[in-house]
Amino acid sequence: MNQTPDTALFLGHLHPLLVHLPIGLLLLVAILEFLSRFPRFKQANANAGLILALAVPATAMAALCGWLLARAGGYQDNLLQWHRWAGISTAAAAAFAALLYRLNLKRAYRWCLVPSVGVLVVAGHLGGSLTHGSDYFVRYAPGPFRAWLGGSPQAAPVQTNHVELAQLPVFANVVRPVLQQDCVSCHGPEKSKGRLRLDTLEGLAKGGKSGPAIVAGKSADSEVIKRMLLPLTDDDHMPPNGKPQPSADDLALLQWWLDSGASPDKQVSELKPSPRVTQILAAKFGSPAPIVTTVPPKPLKDVLPQSAALAAELGIAITPLSPQEPWLQCNASIAGTNFGDAELKKLAALGANLRWLDVAGTAISDGGLARFETMPNLTRLHLERTHLTDASLAQVASLSNLEYLNLYGTEISDAGLDQLRSLPKLRQLYLWQTKVTPAAGKAFAEARTDQDQLQRWREEIEQLNAKIREAHISVDLGTIFPAAASTNTTPINAVCPVSGKPIDPTKTLFHNGVLVAFCCDDCKAKFQQDPAPYLAKLEPKKEPQPATK
Amino acid sequence: MQPVQSFLQHQTRRAFFKNSGLAAGRIALASLMCPDLFQARAATVRPAGGHPGLPGLPHFAPKARRLIYLFMNGAPSQIDLWDYKPKLAELFDADLPDSIRNGQRLTTMTSGQKRFPIAPSIYKFTSHGQCGTMVSELLPHTAQVVDDLAVIRTVYTEAINHDPASTYILTGNQIPGKPSIGAWLSYGLGSEAENLPAFVVMTPRWSAKRDAQALYQRLWGAGFLPSQHQGVALRAKGDPVLYITNPSGVDASARRTMLDGLAKLNRAGFERSGDPEIQTRIAQYEMAFRMQTSIPELTDISTEPKSVLDLYGPEVTQPGTFAASALLARRLIERGVRVVQLLHREWDHHGDLPRDLPLQCRDVDQACKGLILDLKQRGLLDETLVVWGGEFGRTVYCQGELRRDNYGRDHHPRCYTMWMAGAGIKGGTVYGETDDFSYNIVRDPVHIRDINATILNLMGVDHNRLTYGFQGLDQKLTGTEAPANPVKGILV
Repeated sequence: MNQTPDTALFLGHLHPLLVHLPIGLLLLVAILEFLSRFPRFKQANANAGLILALAVPATAMAALCGWLLARAGGYQDNLLQWHRWAGISTAAAAAFAALLYRLNLKRAYRWCLVPSVGVLVVAGHLGGSLTHGSDYFVRYAPGPFRAWLGGSPQAAPVQTNHVELAQLPVFANVVRPVLQQDCVSCHGPEKSKGRLRLDTLEGLAKGGKSGPAIVAGKSADSEVIKRMLLPLTDDDHMPPNGKPQPSADDLALLQWWLDSGASPDKQVSELKPSPRVTQILAAKFGSPAPIVTTVPPKPLKDVLPQSAALAAELGIAITPLSPQEPWLQCNASIAGTNFGDAELKKLAALGANLRWLDVAGTAISDGGLARFETMPNLTRLHLERTHLTDASLAQVASLSNLEYLNLYGTEISDAGLDQLRSLPKLRQLYLWQTKVTPAAGKAFAEARTDQDQLQRWREEIEQLNAKIREAHISVDLGTIFPAAASTNTTPINAVCPVSGKPIDPTKTLFHNGVLVAFCCDDCKAKFQQDPAPYLAKLEPKKEPQPATK
Repeated sequence: MQPVQSFLQHQTRRAFFKNSGLAAGRIALASLMCPDLFQARAATVRPAGGHPGLPGLPHFAPKARRLIYLFMNGAPSQIDLWDYKPKLAELFDADLPDSIRNGQRLTTMTSGQKRFPIAPSIYKFTSHGQCGTMVSELLPHTAQVVDDLAVIRTVYTEAINHDPASTYILTGNQIPGKPSIGAWLSYGLGSEAENLPAFVVMTPRWSAKRDAQALYQRLWGAGFLPSQHQGVALRAKGDPVLYITNPSGVDASARRTMLDGLAKLNRAGFERSGDPEIQTRIAQYEMAFRMQTSIPELTDISTEPKSVLDLYGPEVTQPGTFAASALLARRLIERGVRVVQLLHREWDHHGDLPRDLPLQCRDVDQACKGLILDLKQRGLLDETLVVWGGEFGRTVYCQGELRRDNYGRDHHPRCYTMWMAGAGIKGGTVYGETDDFSYNIVRDPVHIRDINATILNLMGVDHNRLTYGFQGLDQKLTGTEAPANPVKGILV
């Protein structure tokens, strides 16, 4: 293709902007002329001539810009040709109608408006199809309508409920939907910018102007990934700035598929997903993600009287966490060993409203923790300094909202710790003075941390920091300090100028910018009072004596 | 004069109907506009032993359940401890440029000085922790936990003398009579502990060889709030609370009988005069009785393992030291006390700073680290806010004679350093920047009002909404003179 000059492309890109005005104007003329046939609206067409006069140059401009835009290429040829000629016909028909109007052939002019509007509608629809895809108009039309309008029957949504996630074919169910969502509107059957189609595996492999879009097994070398990872402001970034961008999760899925060989039909389990990919897939397809149960709490004002009575009865403190939310915090540790399993059972009445629970140092036992099933919304739980053992942790592990868990000073061991792995939100776990070994604690923490994700975030922060550094300009005029009295810290004399004895280096004084040392505080005081008589005796140690005033 | 009777004498039939008519209207209107109003009172959750907080508090979910405030009374030198100023080294004995002092008011202690020679710190600073914060060699232990601290280098105040400045930061006003921060928190959030007050104060002894500035009860007083909210000060020497043990010949049941009788008399007095202070008195007697058992249990540290005692340093076993008080602070918050304040005195080094400052630092340094580590291993640092700091800073210029190895520093309100750690605090942060002389603030000033707003914020309190009507003004801890804002930059 010949290189299109930038000016031409600039004008071409005005096409979507200019095209809507003539459509409106021409339709308006037709509507006004139609209305004027009814006696009530006889005057409706009074300004039709003026509107038509505006419509003709607007139509011509739109057509011209459209012609220039088409030269940039990347559109489906067949559709483009039809749109081009329909558009030019519209411009021609409008001009012809205007001519008839000018010649006062009103009847012919009116008849001429009918085909004008006809070609206008065709051109408009084809233009829409070019930009948004041919099924854009009817994609969400009700079923029978769509068939009648010529749309394809809606694809049945992928049923993931019955199929195990592990057996899902990756390209069809994971990769294609991502490309469909973010790429295919420009690189698809209707419009294939850069002669690239991303709607099929063949298209991906064949690539476009810049070569193949993918390199199987190497996501980092694949053009699609490279383009997506360029800075948003880069001209080559895809999708272009301003269009919807793929999410980090989607990008990770594409990379995973490419790195594991870009297979056309392999299933999830065959591609050995990393923990992160598993997590993303789980979130996308709604299965084995950790299940967080939330039981709706009662409104605060309904539970307050009950909680007040309970607090008084049990000798504990129960207060709302805040007035806006229904949550309660309960400190039972102040009751000490007076608080045990029986008391915890009574507390279950407030169950779903309890958010923070502190039973540290109380007499609760493993058996009593069965009450936790009534407190599913707990986020902070203090169990420290109690006699709980590993047997209790199965109950704790069911508290899926838990973020803070304190178990220090209990009988917990490595075996118990394993049961806590399923807590999805846990962020702080305190195990001082338990039987848990350091190795087990470390392993627990590592298993719960997605190191890959952390690394990616660190890199992201580094990139952002680089941007911040680049955004700054530092203008430095220098810091102006007063002249130092002296930077020389050794006295200039070896003997005291007052007494003639050897100096004590800690008894010093600055005189005219030099450090003078004395044998004692008395001599220093004398010198301070009137230095004149002693200046002559101030023999320089090395350098000549500096001039005095 | 009985105030209630004199009030009754002035009540005429006409005045009564006029007032009650208006009042009934007001109540009706209030109940229409705020239907929860009358339910809320009735439904206020009352902890069994302590006193309830205000309805509607905390205003939002708190980050901190408890506060430990380590107050260094006398003003520690920020230049020798936290605010590293390497450029000063070459300016020994140079005059402080007028452009820096900028005509600032000085205390009478140095306003007579002919010149203001710069005294660089003689202490080495090194970078510590992952955050790399510069800390003076005088605080080798605190430096080890610097990754948990948010160091604020740009705290400032208006007061230039100890008494008003301490009163200012601890009660929100230079003029005495306002409630202290602990009293406000006790009033707003209530008390959980049954056998201990909501707010406990300790005044550990100090090592510097000089007299210290006096402390005043108002620094932990309740001001115009009901006096049950004032801090209860434990003594540094002897029994932590006077007369905690019954005198010989009086056993607990005799004491109980006596208190019951006294309470009966007091209640009769209350019914006669309606003075709420009498109720406070009854509550305080009861609290004192319960403290006869809770305090000995509290101060018995024989159950603490050696590894824990070692964290706080060798002085932890000597009652009345800062280390022993820090350990008690942890034991107090474990027992449900909301606010513990340690006021360590004699940081006022006008002269001989190199002689006294190291002694003072040695008193507190290891105990600060021990407290942080001890809270941390127990999972309590996550819910406890620890605050360290004095009432103002010290000058870069020397007071009195400047020598290579000896100098003094005057009061300096324009910038000084405090740190916070624990609940809701972003550890490893250094907030704010001062100029090369640690004299003026260059970036991110933090008024002491903002410090107090931050503390309240972490405790779940909006400082603008915790108010008490007194002398015709809705009084609040952060004052009504200027806006105060929590320091967002140090919060998680």
